[in-house]
Amino acid sequence: MTAWKKSYARAAPWFLLPALILLSLFVVWPLVRASLWSFTNADLLNPAQKQWVGAGNYGGLLADAQFRQAFGNTALFALLVVPIQVTLAFVLALWVNRPEPAWRWLRVVFFVPTVVSMPVLAVLWTILYQPAQRTEMGLINVALTTVGLPTRAWLHDPHWALPALAFMSLWQGVGLQMMIFLAGLQGVPAELHEASRIDGANAFQRVVHVIIPALRNTIVFVVTVTTILAFRLFVQPYLMTHGGPANRTRSLIQSIYETTFLGQELGRACAAAILFLAWVGLLTLLQRYFSREDRA
Amino acid sequence: MWLPYSHHVPAAFLPRSGGAITGILLIALVHLSGCDRPTPTSARVVRVWCHQGQEAENHAMRDIAAAFNSAYAAEGVRAEIVFFPDFQYTEKIAIAAAARDLPDTFDLDGPLVARLVDAGVLQAIDRWFTAAEQADFLPSILEQGTINGHLFALGSFDSAMVLYYDRAMLAQAGVTPPPNDSGWTWGEFIDACRRLKAAGLEPVAMHLDESADEWYTYAFSPIIWSGGGDLIAPDQRRVQGVLASQQNVRSLDAWQAVFREKYASTDPVDPNPFDHDKVAMDWSGHWMARPHLAHKGEKLGAMPLPGFGTNPSAPCGSWCWGMARTARDPEAAALWLKWVTDSRNGVEPIVRANGAVPARRSAFAAFPEYERPPYNLFKRQLETNAHPRPQTPGYAALTRGFAAALRDIAHGAEVPTRLQMTEKEIQAVIDRRPASTTIAEAPR
Amino acid sequence: MKRLLPWVLSIAAALLFLAPLLWMLRASFSPETQIFQPGFAGGIFHGSWTLQNYADAWRRAALGSAMLNSLLQVAGIVSVGLLINTLAAYAFARLEFPGRELLFGVVVVLIILPVEVIAVPLFFTARDLGLTAGYGPAMAGLIAPFLAKAFNIYFLRQHFLTLPIELEEAAVIDGAGAWQQFWNVALPSIRPALATVVVLDLLTHWGDFLWPLMISTREETRTVQISLANLFTQPPIQWGAILACAVMATLPVLALFRWLQRYIVITDSRTGIK
Repeated sequence: MTAWKKSYARAAPWFLLPALILLSLFVVWPLVRASLWSFTNADLLNPAQKQWVGAGNYGGLLADAQFRQAFGNTALFALLVVPIQVTLAFVLALWVNRPEPAWRWLRVVFFVPTVVSMPVLAVLWTILYQPAQRTEMGLINVALTTVGLPTRAWLHDPHWALPALAFMSLWQGVGLQMMIFLAGLQGVPAELHEASRIDGANAFQRVVHVIIPALRNTIVFVVTVTTILAFRLFVQPYLMTHGGPANRTRSLIQSIYETTFLGQELGRACAAAILFLAWVGLLTLLQRYFSREDRA
Repeated sequence: MWLPYSHHVPAAFLPRSGGAITGILLIALVHLSGCDRPTPTSARVVRVWCHQGQEAENHAMRDIAAAFNSAYAAEGVRAEIVFFPDFQYTEKIAIAAAARDLPDTFDLDGPLVARLVDAGVLQAIDRWFTAAEQADFLPSILEQGTINGHLFALGSFDSAMVLYYDRAMLAQAGVTPPPNDSGWTWGEFIDACRRLKAAGLEPVAMHLDESADEWYTYAFSPIIWSGGGDLIAPDQRRVQGVLASQQNVRSLDAWQAVFREKYASTDPVDPNPFDHDKVAMDWSGHWMARPHLAHKGEKLGAMPLPGFGTNPSAPCGSWCWGMARTARDPEAAALWLKWVTDSRNGVEPIVRANGAVPARRSAFAAFPEYERPPYNLFKRQLETNAHPRPQTPGYAALTRGFAAALRDIAHGAEVPTRLQMTEKEIQAVIDRRPASTTIAEAPR
Repeated sequence: MKRLLPWVLSIAAALLFLAPLLWMLRASFSPETQIFQPGFAGGIFHGSWTLQNYADAWRRAALGSAMLNSLLQVAGIVSVGLLINTLAAYAFARLEFPGRELLFGVVVVLIILPVEVIAVPLFFTARDLGLTAGYGPAMAGLIAPFLAKAFNIYFLRQHFLTLPIELEEAAVIDGAGAWQQFWNVALPSIRPALATVVVLDLLTHWGDFLWPLMISTREETRTVQISLANLFTQPPIQWGAILACAVMATLPVLALFRWLQRYIVITDSRTGIK
């Protein structure tokens, strides 16, 4: 049957060309350009007049307290979001994994915030976090006063601004992860459940010793993707806190954006972008290392 | 985002939505091809960008553009005006300059002229205005647009900031406003606030709900200046040691007290509480003069911003018009510049809409009401103690850092540490930029 | 009683979880003065309803054209992109040619590249191609960079690989060429995967912010998200209008999602390479 496969091979370039051209033009070429610019001191408004500075931008960035803080903020954000969101999503998936069709509505409920776009939610939650002023306050503080807790100026408090952003991001994304875990749970063969029940394991032990190992790759995958997404944080600090208070919420991408358009330092911004790419690459390699490939 | 999938494809077949997709694409094609028709080559089009501003200003600009088009219809010159929101304006201009998508002429906030000249984005416009014409402009306007002896930008109005007050509310609290021409010292201001608060009124609105960083730098730099400090050294490069000076720390400490004592709201919900009779005083500018007058009538009073010591300060500087170096038809673009800064055709309509100070002396004749408060105060400030914001190429970083610091300070951050942090931050950005060859030292 | 407990908990959890969105809906119909009232009763049950916020939002944010732009962008990316990516995926899955594995390896590496890394030089590329000036070009600039997606190619290839070879062999016997195989046999067989890709791209690009922020600077090229951000920051700040704009920005994608949802079947998870 290889004859027809060989004749199909002639069609291959036609099938591939559109995608390859577009990828080269809009992904590979910009990447190359970013790398080249990262070794110069190009000015955004005048990129032609640039000088080679070698690793100057990279060294400068790694030594720059602002840049390190942006990275630290983003890392802290990821640290807050990922474990809590993944755990919550997993628990929710276990909770809604019931066969009765009536439970499907609950899955939809948890999934709705994912469908609402991030800029909309950023605007909404800024309003929700509105501090208490005399007789006016946002819904979060309203809820706190109802249960007798003190109110807070969430987005203006250096200690609580980033957690406030994390909370809202967590809320938005938990539904999608829940669906992924749900799919995974439904793929665990019934025999495994049966076997462990016969062995006398209770529900909790079943989860820990049967389900989690069976879903190992999914969990690793979800953790990696969520972490990478967390590092791409931009909209929330840009719209909600402008990077403050005291630069505590300025994210890595926001820092790159500001370097580009406010500082207008093109070379330096590209170097920061390449560093970010290296970081994402590292995270992805970690994922591959921790996943066991199923050689089915 | 991944959705893990099994080896076993479920047999769930769906109806093809090809028809819908084709329909959408067709609509798209029609829509896209219908727009952006190239203009007939006989017309000389001037592409104009303008910041969006308040709604009244916006309407006035559209009218000015329409009047320009009918006035020059015979010569075939037409202005196409596009509006941009103010808060991202710096970024927008930067993006446009990088995209080589700059219009022929555009307006920009005064302090940004330095950077754009430094980057070669603007071209000099001296040759389009005779010496006599230039003399008609207020000195502050000329200074704002002049870099190294050449004129790069001209505004049609200058700005003013004052402390508006409601006479009735002040009387209710037993506070007497200062006599005609003078303002309060900071101590008197705080005292008034205290009495207003004791009488159950909210003393002052500081508009901390404004998103734009520029609001903070513009509205509260007078506090720095009247306290004897500055934002940047006269060489326009050194911020370290200047921004976090002892005078500035003292001044901003006093400013912070206003919020600490709850004389002003740190997170207001209402953008205009003064006209809703919620606050007694309004730390605001010329753009609110018309609405305030309309609402308060005789009850409206205005005084200079309170200051420390004997040299109170007022900010000045505003949007001004420049011509891009890449303007395709500089003569046509110059026609627009002259129109929009012309006393009758440009200055008058816009000032009528926004209550600012006309940029040209000859335009004052059209505004007899400017002999009365609050307008006479605006004018007087420009002639006496108005202080422009720094003309430094690093202005974007300066205003960003300073505004962030002010936001945090209003919310209780410790003043010296916060200012020092800002200093270092701004200085790092400025230091990375090679020393400018076009910007001279500030005259003051 | 014990059977009711999960239900009660679920309903309570659902209400709490959706509270922000429900509040947004309610507040968008509230007059300005009622939006920040303390106390739940004050904020939700105050009894005043108004459509003024929607009118203000529609006018100030020019939502008519913003919606059209967003819809065009998403429709363009989803439809044209689907064709381009399925073609490439099929080639990698079923057409044998020299260097296939190497080329595919390069594509896989590109998957991890977040758009933020290349956004700035991408901007310059778009400019060089003339995609930054003018309405038509700017819309193309919103669409073109996202048509070919490494992840979509990978994902679709995985699905093509799972198709039973007998189907294709049967088509060969009927005299089918590569295109017929692709269009008549392979593509219809992976409809759920197509729907999944459509939904993911829809969600991603409706909420696009950074790229439209950079490229659709003028009023006429603005997408819904950028219009919302502008309304959020341009004085006078009208909270009710902002919330109404937020609601209107969400409705199209909710509707589209509702329509497409039943076509997605998310099943078991094993992402091994066969």
